[in-house]
Amino acid sequence: MYLDRLLNQGSVPVLEQLATFTEARQSVLGEDVANISTPGYVQKDMSVDQFQQELAQRVQQADSAAPGSVRFDDISTDIQNPVNGILFHDGNNRSMEQLMSDQAKNALMHNLAIELLRSQYSQLETAIKEGK
Amino acid sequence: MFDILDMGASALTAQRIRMDTIAGNIANINTLRDANGKPNPYRRRFVVFAPGQAENDPRPGVHVKSVQLDQSPLPKRYDPGNPDADKDGYVKYPNVDLSIEFVNALEASRAYEANVTMMDTAKSMFNSSLRLLA
Repeated sequence: MYLDRLLNQGSVPVLEQLATFTEARQSVLGEDVANISTPGYVQKDMSVDQFQQELAQRVQQADSAAPGSVRFDDISTDIQNPVNGILFHDGNNRSMEQLMSDQAKNALMHNLAIELLRSQYSQLETAIKEGK
Repeated sequence: MFDILDMGASALTAQRIRMDTIAGNIANINTLRDANGKPNPYRRRFVVFAPGQAENDPRPGVHVKSVQLDQSPLPKRYDPGNPDADKDGYVKYPNVDLSIEFVNALEASRAYEANVTMMDTAKSMFNSSLRLLA
């Protein structure tokens, strides 16, 4: 119980959600790239804006609630079919440039979340070791 | 998360089969007879992709659904001395167009590279996640 409170306060749960989201989105983008030449394939994506809005709402709620009482693990991460780019003759709306830049941004976001988590954990470790 | 690597592998296989098909088309650009030596000009082959890692494996990915023959008319060239010429002296040649094949080959190789990049990114993401343990 106490350990759970220790690990689930501050930015740790938010960063965990960000890491999970970026991992899932990488899979979706990977599927889009794999199907870049598949006739009739409609590109998939997960909405970063929607995820960030929901996350921001939860963070705001958490500021005024008891520690650990606001849950972060039920934020919706639906797969959507955004209508953007040109529809080619084979029914595929591919955009290689968009996909590659999205995956680069996504990977950077993931690394950011992981690095911040690492620093959180190392702070915790320092506290546990009484600064030694 | 390891499914990204399986997905990438399925796409690499599919693009390689596409490249093999293109190589076969270019190799047979002047083939006028079939394997039995009968006059039967080569027809251009092309692959058709479908989503899913295999016909009966719906995991995300891509596979080659079929290799089809291009049914467009075979171009004729006037060559009366050729033993395969018809009574008017025309010979039917394969319907392989080098420029189309090269464009397709370029697309296949770029798609292959893009998939390798996706796999590399996924690997670096695994690595950074694993470093949380150390």
